[in-house]
Amino acid sequence: MTEPAPLLWKRKDLLGLEELSREEILHVLDTARGFSEISTRSIKKAPALRGKVVLNLFFEPSTRTKASFSLAAQRLSADLVDIVKEASSAVKGETLVDTGCNLQAMGVDIVILRHQQAGAPHLLARSLDACVVNAGDGTHEHPTQGLLDIFTMREKFGDLTGKKIALVGDITHSRVARSNIWGLRKLGAEVGIIGPRTLLPGAFRELGVNLHYHLDEVLDHYDVFNILRIQMERQKKGMFPSVREYHHLYGIDSRRVKKMKPHALIMHPGPINRGVEISQEVADGDHSVILRQVTNGLAVRMAVLVLVQSAQPATHGSGRYEHA
Amino acid sequence: MSETILIKGGYLLDPATGKEGVGDVLIAGGKIVAAGNVRLADAQKSSPDGHVEVLQCEGLHVAPGLVDLRAHMGEPGHDSEETIAHGAEVAVHGGFTTVACLPDTEPANDNVASALFVRRQSEQAGFADVWPVCALTRNREGRELTEIGQLVEAGAVAFSDEQRGSDTPAAILRGMSYASMFDRAVIEYAQDPELAGGVMNAGYESALAGLSGLPAVAEELAIARACMFARETGCHFHAGKLTSRNAVRAVKRARKLGVRVTAEVCAHHLAVTDDEVRKAYDTNLKVFPPFRTREDIAWLKRGLREGVIDCIVSGHRPVPPQLKELEFGAAPFGSVGLETALAVALTELVHTSELPLLAAITKLTLNPAKVLRLDKRKGSLSPGTDGDLCIFDLKSEWQVTESALFSHAKNSALLGRTLKGRPKFTVTRNRVIDLGMR
Repeated sequence: MTEPAPLLWKRKDLLGLEELSREEILHVLDTARGFSEISTRSIKKAPALRGKVVLNLFFEPSTRTKASFSLAAQRLSADLVDIVKEASSAVKGETLVDTGCNLQAMGVDIVILRHQQAGAPHLLARSLDACVVNAGDGTHEHPTQGLLDIFTMREKFGDLTGKKIALVGDITHSRVARSNIWGLRKLGAEVGIIGPRTLLPGAFRELGVNLHYHLDEVLDHYDVFNILRIQMERQKKGMFPSVREYHHLYGIDSRRVKKMKPHALIMHPGPINRGVEISQEVADGDHSVILRQVTNGLAVRMAVLVLVQSAQPATHGSGRYEHA
Repeated sequence: MSETILIKGGYLLDPATGKEGVGDVLIAGGKIVAAGNVRLADAQKSSPDGHVEVLQCEGLHVAPGLVDLRAHMGEPGHDSEETIAHGAEVAVHGGFTTVACLPDTEPANDNVASALFVRRQSEQAGFADVWPVCALTRNREGRELTEIGQLVEAGAVAFSDEQRGSDTPAAILRGMSYASMFDRAVIEYAQDPELAGGVMNAGYESALAGLSGLPAVAEELAIARACMFARETGCHFHAGKLTSRNAVRAVKRARKLGVRVTAEVCAHHLAVTDDEVRKAYDTNLKVFPPFRTREDIAWLKRGLREGVIDCIVSGHRPVPPQLKELEFGAAPFGSVGLETALAVALTELVHTSELPLLAAITKLTLNPAKVLRLDKRKGSLSPGTDGDLCIFDLKSEWQVTESALFSHAKNSALLGRTLKGRPKFTVTRNRVIDLGMR
């Protein structure tokens, strides 16, 4: 397996892919490639984080991301603490920063934070010496999902320079989309976003992203269709007229897959609304790498945990009180 | 404290006459007696006991005390954030000697007792002269009108439902109609409430930040509507806190049609852009309306140059640190501003040659005094007006840090900035406050 080169990685936190350089992204992906091999062994453990404490701090429900981070930490021999909380609030209960400081005072080394507010991990990272890994902040970024999506694409295509990647669905409210866009643009891929105009931020054109309102016009253009979950509450807020119309215009079914390139990949970060944004037969079909994404997620998250920990200052205290 | 004060040798700026140049100002009995060349001997003659406090101001600029028509003080209801007395003292540290405080208190300033309370707290504190802007409707709910006539007698300088007014067009229309009988302006915050549900400027930066956006068109819409009401009623409408190109255009269009409308900009909106908001999710940069783009700032500056924007205000809103130490979406809006407004105006407008010095000072003194109907007493160096002065060093550079701010609340959007220009002395009626002593 490839040994991580510590000199390339100097970040104690992973907050987003926007701030990573192309080299840093490739470094995580290369490191992850080494870890994906561990999962195929009969004894699936490595000692990299032995004696370290990893904390899952989730303010939003999550099944696969939390399980994936937990398994990643356990395979690296770390001790694991899980905390699931209701939304933090100014009035009741303690603030996010206080929660973080208290947990750090108990010796937590890495905090994995899922939060409904964009920028919450940035706030925590500023206040703690412990490493902070963003496991999704509001509608901002979900960097490990972006990395595992890219990892999966590279597994099929190798170098992504000039490859054409489409993201389909509600881009405005998608942290997965933002992390994909940053990562893919840095690796030289062509990126398109496809969906109703009310759910595609026009501002993304300034990042060199193509906007398409009509899926059928571009089915044979892209190599990858990364399909995002459509959230029913957006319809209730009037962002698109109905699920039926959405499925009619943007649902990926076998009729549409037939018009795609023969090697086209179908991806989905989950959880899937079968029959809405993607049909049953496509989700389980030959083009789909949806479960492969889940498997790769584990390796990518192991790599991230090892890298951030390697950049953590040797000794750390309880945060704000020392730095007040 | 002295009965007679002689300010010698400063560079005088008088918005009322448009005159500027080196000269002296004589204050006696709390009023300006003369501005121009005043000999010490003449000053002594006007002093009952012959004693004159002389302040040498060579190299400094002498302007009328600054007049702020937008400060939010916590009292009553949020006294822990800022009392009127503390706010009045913070104000003089920024060169402000007159401050209008908005009615978004708890309870709302919607009755005679509350209006008198503001005046009494201000008089007891003895720093800046604080005047109430009272609610247009009871509890700012947009239904029953407040007792506007009696509130005017109790000292109300303007009326506003502050931030809620746009929700209730019928009440605003009625309120403008009624308030126009008493020659008071109605000040409204210019945001359409249904469109304005976000936390930062809507655009490229909010799209990338994953934060909900406040579109500039919400501002344009609300201003345009209030201007139409002003046209229908003949009431003076003062558009609060312009931040965008859209807003400047809306006021400009109304002016062309002869609508009686004036407008203001918060100093910090001239200095901060939305890309800085995204960089660190810094909650000190969360203000309402939000910081917008470089292009919007260029339009605001143009609006100031062309006279579409009449006033520069502090937009002062203290927020306790534990509330600013929250996630960006959860933290309250607001930045303190009384201590930085002059310096920002000088840095962003005067030192960049966007606006002549006297024009900038006029927008910080006489123009807001006119909106508040206080211009017979405030905002000029004319004999007979209150002896309030802002004496500042145009070129002194300083960094905005928590320790540089006198205010208890440190939530300044400008922390870390270097500004050029700073008040050195503030004179309030019969008292010289040396700000260098802090």
